[in-house]
Amino acid sequence: MTDTLVVQGLRKTIGKKEIIKGLSFTLREGEVFGFLGPNGAGKTTTIRMLVGLIKPTSGHISICGYDLRRQFSQAIRHIGCIVENPELYPYLSGWENLEHFARMVPNIPKERISEVVELVGLQNRIHDRVRTYSLGMRQRLGIAQALLGNPKVLILDEPTNGLDPAGIREMREFIRFLAEKEGLSVLVSSHLLSEIQLMCDRVAIMSKGEIIRIDTVENLLKEQARVYWKAAPLDQAKKILAEQTTVLGEKDDAIVTFYEAGQLSAWNEKLVQAGIRVSEIQPKLPTLEDLFIELTGGETID
Amino acid sequence: MINLVYNEMLKIVRKKRLFIIAAIIAVLVGLFTYAQLKHVQEVQKRLGTNDWRTQLQQQIIDTQNRLNSSGISEEWRKFLQIRLQQQQYYLDHNINPSAPGAPTFMRMFVENSIELFLPLMVMVVVADLVSSEASGGTIKLLLTRPVKRWKILLSKYIAMLLSVSFIVLSLVFLSYLISGTVFGYSGWNLPLLTGFAVHGEELDTTNVHLLSQWKYLLIELGLAWFVAIVVGTLTFMLSVLMRSTAAVMGIMLAALISGAILSNMVSSWKSAKYLFMVNLRLTDYISGTAPPIDGMTLGFSMSVLAIWGIAALFISFLVFTKRDVY
Amino acid sequence: MNSNIVKIIAILSIVASGLWIFGLGVMVQDQFFHKATPLRKEITSQTETANDQQLHLVALGDSLTRGTGDETGKGYVGYILDELRTKTKQPIQVTNLAIKGQRSAGLVKQLQQAEVQRQLKQADFVFMTIGGNDLFQGGETIRNFSIARINQTKASYLRNLDAIFRTIRTVNPQAIVFYISLYNPFNQLNNAKTTSAIVRQWNYDSAEVAARYPNIIAVPTYDLFELHANEYLYSDQFHPNKEGYKLIGERVASLITFTKGERK
Repeated sequence: MTDTLVVQGLRKTIGKKEIIKGLSFTLREGEVFGFLGPNGAGKTTTIRMLVGLIKPTSGHISICGYDLRRQFSQAIRHIGCIVENPELYPYLSGWENLEHFARMVPNIPKERISEVVELVGLQNRIHDRVRTYSLGMRQRLGIAQALLGNPKVLILDEPTNGLDPAGIREMREFIRFLAEKEGLSVLVSSHLLSEIQLMCDRVAIMSKGEIIRIDTVENLLKEQARVYWKAAPLDQAKKILAEQTTVLGEKDDAIVTFYEAGQLSAWNEKLVQAGIRVSEIQPKLPTLEDLFIELTGGETID
Repeated sequence: MINLVYNEMLKIVRKKRLFIIAAIIAVLVGLFTYAQLKHVQEVQKRLGTNDWRTQLQQQIIDTQNRLNSSGISEEWRKFLQIRLQQQQYYLDHNINPSAPGAPTFMRMFVENSIELFLPLMVMVVVADLVSSEASGGTIKLLLTRPVKRWKILLSKYIAMLLSVSFIVLSLVFLSYLISGTVFGYSGWNLPLLTGFAVHGEELDTTNVHLLSQWKYLLIELGLAWFVAIVVGTLTFMLSVLMRSTAAVMGIMLAALISGAILSNMVSSWKSAKYLFMVNLRLTDYISGTAPPIDGMTLGFSMSVLAIWGIAALFISFLVFTKRDVY
Repeated sequence: MNSNIVKIIAILSIVASGLWIFGLGVMVQDQFFHKATPLRKEITSQTETANDQQLHLVALGDSLTRGTGDETGKGYVGYILDELRTKTKQPIQVTNLAIKGQRSAGLVKQLQQAEVQRQLKQADFVFMTIGGNDLFQGGETIRNFSIARINQTKASYLRNLDAIFRTIRTVNPQAIVFYISLYNPFNQLNNAKTTSAIVRQWNYDSAEVAARYPNIIAVPTYDLFELHANEYLYSDQFHPNKEGYKLIGERVASLITFTKGERK
């Protein structure tokens, strides 16, 4: 696997305030990389630096081996992006919008435009004005626009924002498709863990301008997943569970323990054998909030 | 580059601004044509003649009488005196400065629109050229293409120049076409006087010479275009600096209108001549009307405008290429 | 089709840009590098389209002819016009060339202008008032009264008046000229006796000059304002008011008739 996007020591200072405090990460070919963090963590600022909209105070960004600062044109050719909302010219038709952006990149034939239109499934409405499009259609047109130049890296800022559940699901599948079948590196930012979890291979968790952790989704989830036990008598159950695993505490009359796949039935058996009535066993995937509190040691999301 | 300019032209055309402007011009020209027609008829009725010499003589006498009435301001007196000498010159040389015909109407329309109307029309097109991309968010898409930022701005600037040319063209075309239906389409070869220089209260006629109206018009249109370009460049700069198109329009409007007002009252505030907005009436130098402030000449005004324009262009490019886009 | 519109507009704009830049070039060449060539004075070889159907009236002189003091703005010329319109069906054209505050010397100069002469040439009737400003000098004469100076002024005025009449007669030997003489606006003041004497003498001398030329008629107004000066004077106590002008107009108009064989 080759690295398509390499970021080293990226910093941005505005005035005296350091907004991005030295980020380093890499994107590999064919993977979906998640950027997870609460609003205001610096995700969008980082993405804007990756696509050259904001100049970093220091640090390097290289795309497919080209330095973004010194070889802007070659580097940016390999990136397709949607930053925040997919804003296109509402007074032009979808097709004209694509033509407009195609003219800005050398050697994009008309066939490529038809190709991306088909890829995002907008054939029926492509000649209507963008003004008349729904948000989902705009999102799709935005992606079509991003794919126009055959990029190696696709950067999507909150791609599911404002979509309905069906739309979110469709988007997710599409992103997976692009990474797996087309071999693109996709960078997706979100503030919703559930979303990231379902489509990303690896995740970077950001908070206050720093990456706290980069890992595969699997690892993160494994570590942070919890099980809620509702049992009576409570004290006794706690004691037994503590012998098997670590008890993390009590919450809403339930005992909270780590989650270990395949072990729940064994633990349950022990409880039952001890004559404890177990009324509820609830494994819980961590919420972003939990993850954060966990990772930052009590930092709240604001 | 051609592709980029084409993109910008496409956006300008599809926003339909140019057509709106053409429509506004058509309506105004119609209005002024009617007003001019009424005026001609009125003068004819009052004097009982359509002999222009009689009319001009009457105008001269009227001016002389106004000069003799007490309580007119010094500036106004000066203006009247210069106009008087000029009218007398026309009369002595048997030249009718307002011979009817579409070219004459066109000339007067250009002379009267150079200060406010034409800049306003330019502003309507240029004000949102960059700011709309910023406020609409499309700037992010534009700047993440494999094209350097200065090239993107340059393409916009060229599109601006082209639209200004188009606006001037439609002004000419529509005023000729519409006024011609009433005044006739002839008069291209009418001789006109130019080269008047104003020194204090004296009208210097050493360089006065005759020009055919078509050449005179060409000169005036060149100047009108120049003014429109400078106003366009300034608007362009504001459009780069600001996200809000309304703010751009507001500032330009305030500047233009204050210019129109200042021209009438700044004669004692000498340094006001370095403001761009009091230098917009370039055609006045061709027809020989006294400038608002002593010592202003065609060369001076053009230099002042050019410097403002170049500075604005420089700032636009500097800011646009360096700025972080949020 | 849409893309064609954009192309057409773009091409038109490019052509137009070239044209305007060319215009600027012409401007630079014309305005900045123009060699001063003396303008040949065009010989006005225009064929006189003196419309014989039309009656041409030309008014010359000072504020009195202009109509200062008449709030309707007509002046005596306007009232003459009103009267004439009742007498004839011919279309009438009036050219009022009077200038406020004009003195005789000014009128002499004005009459040298080609256009004024052209107007005069077409005239059937000429009306003029002149001298008021020479004599009164805006009241100066009354305040610093000096017989010697008045005589001096009068001498030069009479010379000018003679020149005026001569010019008019040379330019147009036929037109009938009505020279409207002075009244005494200071009739009500304490030195009315002296001023009246001066005005009478002034008018007499002017009439003498007029008499040297054919068809120049000196029309007296002195008597009109003698009795009721205040009723006929404007608030500046110098110019006539509406009623005053009407009197003058009626008097002059009564001298013009259109009976057959009246012509000159």
